[in-house]
Amino acid sequence: MRQYFRDVWRGVFTVLIGMRETWVHVFRPPTTKQYPHERFQLPPGTRQQLFMNADDCIGCFKCARICPVNCIYIDTVKAKPTEDLGKASTGNPIRQHVVRFDIDMFKCCYCDDCTTVCPTECLYMTDKFEASVYERSNGIYHFSKYEPALAMKMLAEQAAEEAAAAAAKAAKAAAAPKKEPAAAAPAPH
Amino acid sequence: MSTFGALGNIFKKQRYYFEGEGEMVVDLDPSAALDQRRDELIKARQSGNFPGDDMIVNMGPQHPSTHGVLRLELVLDGEIVKKVTPHIGYLHRNFEKHAENLGWNEIIPYTDRLDYLAAMNMNHGYCLAVEKLLGIKELPKKVEYIRVICAEFMRISSHLMAVGTFGLDVGAITPFLWAFRDRERILDLFEWISGARLLYNYIWIGGLSRDMPSGWIKQATEFLDELERNMKEFNRLLSGNQIFIKRAAEVGVLPPEVAINCGATGPVLRGSGIKWDCRKDEPYSIYPQFEFEIPVGEGRYGPMGSAFDRYWVRIREIEEAIKILRQALPQCPEQGDVKEAIPRRMKTAAGAECYVRSEAPRGEIGFYVRSNGSDIPDRVRCRSSCFVHVSLLDEISRGCMVADMILNIGSIDIVLGEVDR
Amino acid sequence: MTPELIAEKLQARFGDKILEFAKDAINPVAKVAPDAVHDVCKFLKDDAELYFDMCHNLSGYDLGAGKNLAVIYHLFSFKHQHWFAIKAEVPREGGHLPTVALLWRTAEWHEREVFDLYGIRFDGNPDLRRILCPDDWEGWPLRKDYVVQEYYHGIRVPYKEDWNNFDTLAANPERGHFVFQFEKRLPVVNGNGKAAEKSNQ
Ligand code: SF4
Ligand code: SF4
Repeated sequence: MRQYFRDVWRGVFTVLIGMRETWVHVFRPPTTKQYPHERFQLPPGTRQQLFMNADDCIGCFKCARICPVNCIYIDTVKAKPTEDLGKASTGNPIRQHVVRFDIDMFKCCYCDDCTTVCPTECLYMTDKFEASVYERSNGIYHFSKYEPALAMKMLAEQAAEEAAAAAAKAAKAAAAPKKEPAAAAPAPH
Repeated sequence: MSTFGALGNIFKKQRYYFEGEGEMVVDLDPSAALDQRRDELIKARQSGNFPGDDMIVNMGPQHPSTHGVLRLELVLDGEIVKKVTPHIGYLHRNFEKHAENLGWNEIIPYTDRLDYLAAMNMNHGYCLAVEKLLGIKELPKKVEYIRVICAEFMRISSHLMAVGTFGLDVGAITPFLWAFRDRERILDLFEWISGARLLYNYIWIGGLSRDMPSGWIKQATEFLDELERNMKEFNRLLSGNQIFIKRAAEVGVLPPEVAINCGATGPVLRGSGIKWDCRKDEPYSIYPQFEFEIPVGEGRYGPMGSAFDRYWVRIREIEEAIKILRQALPQCPEQGDVKEAIPRRMKTAAGAECYVRSEAPRGEIGFYVRSNGSDIPDRVRCRSSCFVHVSLLDEISRGCMVADMILNIGSIDIVLGEVDR
Repeated sequence: MTPELIAEKLQARFGDKILEFAKDAINPVAKVAPDAVHDVCKFLKDDAELYFDMCHNLSGYDLGAGKNLAVIYHLFSFKHQHWFAIKAEVPREGGHLPTVALLWRTAEWHEREVFDLYGIRFDGNPDLRRILCPDDWEGWPLRKDYVVQEYYHGIRVPYKEDWNNFDTLAANPERGHFVFQFEKRLPVVNGNGKAAEKSNQ
């Protein structure tokens, strides 16, 4: 019985202590912010939406290869020997047209792996995070400078050239059948 | 006879001491009778005529207090829970199969998503395992310090979440908000150092993804002062509250020998009175340099190993983590390259394997990694502590009331991302 | 006790049931004949000098398509603070092992997990059901030769994307418009400030 009343007393007493704590908080400045009107300053280096600076990309596929969810889609067309595509701002020579550079930002897990491997630092994370869109397809960001129609044309041309080269090679191989076993040896690997 | 089935166990003041000597009698009756009863009940329910006074109630998967998508099948006799059958897998995505198709490095973002409230510790555990497998022994001092600092901050943040939601389960809303306020500050610190708020991908094999920004240590130290004040307030508000203590101190009792046999680790094990922490007893990284204590459950207000003991261990662990941080932050070297030890090629002999455990906030996280000689792993297995803790829910809640179930779930502090992997 | 001594002890007790002992591995592991797993575990648990009171990890793995499956047990003793690991190989089809769930409660769910993901049966496990996958899932997901089922209750299972190829892009060139807005409102921010310089140029 005594224990019971002691518990009741301590219950009331400790609740009063807690109420004093909460009462103190009434006079403290609020820690919340009214988000769309007030904003936090994001720290430097924050990882939000990706951006690719299409002038600097050399089409090395490093980012696509390291991406753990495979959400970077790149297609390149080799530059002809006569063409000069210049250099990236870090000095790496650009040897191919990056006709397609799509990032599926809905699939991206914002892991930041791709930006660390990029040799020209043309792929980086920006501080924009309000990227909701109304259509699923708008979540795929296209960064290439090339129009889709032109890109398809260039890809088709390259495919045709490659096919022609392969045909020529096959013809050559047929002309010189002796070399065939040597060429076939590494194939099983 | 089942030692932990009846109500008597809960209301009797019982103290267990783990001696480590002599025979430990563990009753491993898988309660075949109850299983049979459950099957009978399911059959009866299917056929439509429902006999007797036992009842099956499903709790979850959309129950707000199950901390995720966990479904518990309770066999009830009135208010008393006779048996709990957890059903998991609602969040299953087979991390282990993913890992078999990715490079050693690319798995790290996936480990973030195991225990998303303690992502740094998951990164750390995985990296420790792979480093051991690849034979990387010496890491730069700076890397080790930043790793430990991040892991301890993550522990604080995760425990704040745990104690806050535990209060919420009992019915106290204010402490939850206060805990979130402090947790938010820690996430701000992490955002500054790693760029992300929740899923960091920060600790890499042999290094870190980026360097510590200048001024970070100062900010972190200032935050620690504030956190200490806030924790005092928090304790006055919740931990000292007699109503809360009375509510939590007599439910969810887990005796130590059962805890060991069930594979409990972390605060659940220490709450049962066993002084074991693999940061101290099997040290990794630079933990031996720091002085801290291992808090254990004391059974001050009820039987040892109760829900309150686990809660109290977490509160004390926050204090110990602050202690570690106070030692580590001033010692952390400013100079140094955090990427210099990252191996270029990650390959080992085929068939090499190792199992490494480390102390995450929710228990010991173990990674079993196995290589097949190429640069993608053959097998990565994550031994998750939450998975084990869900399996002992039946053990700690047989004989309790339905309302105590919520406390029991809250007190073992599970994250379903780690349970289901 | 060191793992070598434990292995010697096991060999003395069980003879040729202990198939081999890899003592140079990072975690020394003894390979045990599948039918002796329970006896070995019981000995490891009950012997006063060994006293492995905790089964820390129980994991399956696949040695490759067409080869055996294996299960590895990592045991730990709180009393003596030592580790030991044993493993057992079972054939791919119809492989089964005696359960250790009645020695360590924690093994019950781990065995269920191995059963779920590898299809190894554990004789005597009190509750051997699938645990992570749904009860009517087909196949054993973590086997190397696993092929995912095509449909599960009318839901297509394999993830397939058909909307990100060039044909659909050419058919609908408007799809890229969001990018350009995004580009316009792009100042600033990279970790090392390089991007900021670039965008200023
Ligand atoms: S941030 Fe990660 S997931 Fe996203 S595109 Fe880059 S590598 Fe892929
Ligand atoms: S890594 Fe950089 S340069 Fe290479 S393809 Fe990707 S964005 Fe272009």
